[in-house]
Formats: sequence, C-alpha cells, structure tokens
Amino acid sequence: MDYHETLMAPAGRQAEKSLHDAIAANRGKYLAVVEGSIPTKDNGIYCTVGGRTALEIAREVCGQALATIAVGTCAAFGGLPAARPNPTGAVGVLEAVPGITLINLPGCPMNGVNLAAVVVHFLTFGALPVIDQFHRPLFVHGDRIHEKCERRSHFEAQEFVMQWGDEGHWRGWCLYLMGCKGSETWMNCPTVRWNDGTNWPVRAGHGCLGCAQPHFWDRMTPFYTKLGRLKRTGDILPEEFPRRPQ
Amino acid sequence: MPRIAIDPITRIEGHLRIEVQVDEGRVSEAWNSSTSFRGIELILQGRDPRDAWVFTQRICGV
Repeated sequence: MDYHETLMAPAGRQAEKSLHDAIAANRGKYLAVVEGSIPTKDNGIYCTVGGRTALEIAREVCGQALATIAVGTCAAFGGLPAARPNPTGAVGVLEAVPGITLINLPGCPMNGVNLAAVVVHFLTFGALPVIDQFHRPLFVHGDRIHEKCERRSHFEAQEFVMQWGDEGHWRGWCLYLMGCKGSETWMNCPTVRWNDGTNWPVRAGHGCLGCAQPHFWDRMTPFYTKLGRLKRTGDILPEEFPRRPQ
Repeated sequence: MPRIAIDPITRIEGHLRIEVQVDEGRVSEAWNSSTSFRGIELILQGRDPRDAWVFTQRICGV
C-alpha cells in the first residue's frame, strides 16, 4: 500500500508525491480502494485534498487502476452525505467515474474481513469475485441477513420482541417488529460477525439497520419502524401475535 | 516571508489543511480548513428523532 491518508507518514506535498509516484509506477496494475462518497455539486468543492476535488482525484486514481474497490456504503452508493436532501450532490464511485471495473463493499461500516477476502480472492485467482446487480460480491452479499440470523427460529415460531427490554428481548426473540431490516438486507453479518467474530448487531439485541443496501438512510428509515413492504406478502402485526405467556 | 500550506494533513481521520505564515523563523499567523462538508445538520431535519443518533454517530466513524 503506497498511499493512505490516515496511515501514511508523509503529509502535504510529500503525501501527494507518494500518490503520483504510485500511479506512475503501477499504471493499469493497481487496486484503488476508495472510502467515502464523492460530492459533485458546485463542481465538487465540498471535498478537496491538496487543493483538488475528490471528483478530480477519483477520476485520476480510479480511471488508471486495474480495478477499484469502493468500501463502505458512502463510496458504494453515496451513503450518509447522499441522504435526503443530499446537500452536496454526493454519489458513489461508479456514478462519479462511470465505466470503471468496480467492486462495491457497502456496509456502515464495511467489514474489513470482506475487504481482505476480496483482495485475497484477487491474489489467489487473478480475478475479481462474482458480483450482483449492485456490484457487490455474492460471497458477501448473496444471502439476506434474515436467512442466517440466529433469531430466525423465533421469527418462524412467531416469537417477537414487542418492546425494548421486555421478556422476549431478554430471551433473544425476533426483532422484526422493532424495525429490524434484516429481511430486506443482503450481507454476511450473521456468519462473519464483527471484531474477529465477537458479535453482530442483531445478536447484541438491536435490529439490523439495512446498511448494506443502496440509499438505506432514506429507504430503511425510520429505523425503529417495522418494514412496511412485507404487507404484500402477509403482514405480521403486533396485535396478531401478542406476547406469549412465559 | 514564506506562507506554507500542508494539505492533506495525514494520520488523522477526515480532511484537514493547515496554512502558516512564517516571519523570521516564527509562525505569525495560522489558518486551518476542514476541507470536506457533508451537511449532516441539513440531512437530519424532518427525520424521526429516534434515528438521530445513527446519523450523528457517522460524523466520525472511527
């Protein structure tokens, strides 16, 4: 890794030199990993590095890369800055630099395990992993959270948390009625978990926010309101499934 | 006397530019700029207040 603002020793012009040297020495052969969305409004002035806009930098760096990996929902889909009303005209990398070879690794945050896996896949097979319609690797985003959730059996048994801190919550019941978005979110959180496999949000007792889905800040909010979309396929209302006697 | 700009400042999370005016070997003036703006205050308006922590937590996700 030749350039990473958060980790590298050089600053200012020396940091810019590291970037330019890395591109010149590896043109067409390097992987560019992009973090953060790219503001496009007002010619992109809402994010600059070394006096150049993020948009200019993305075009230069991603345009000459072998492939680009957009890490996090901001880089993949615009993320939080792109949430309504998107004051800065923020977009994801593919929209900012169309036509590039791109892998999206959304998530807020993205899981480092999955980034490592994409890089290892590339180094091992000399090819990028198979992707879905959102450019997400299928091995990461092939299943819904709901499919491998450890609370799934409680969903099937219609055992739902009705209120934070109720007995169902203590017992680890399903968080769907509390606004969990796991049934509409494709990511491998239940299997890889976070922090070296320690835990993940639903296991810790909070609903999934749907952070791996495009525009989840607008489409998955309010976060504590049950998904409405399932109404079409047989909705589950709290009054239909009152808390079972313990 | 030289005016020196350091941009980007590295080893921080986020975007920062520092400019200093040096007179006779001493810094006489200094300016800093946070060179990114997202408008999170604008994005928060009109939303469910229970969601606010999720948005504001992303101001710095380190």
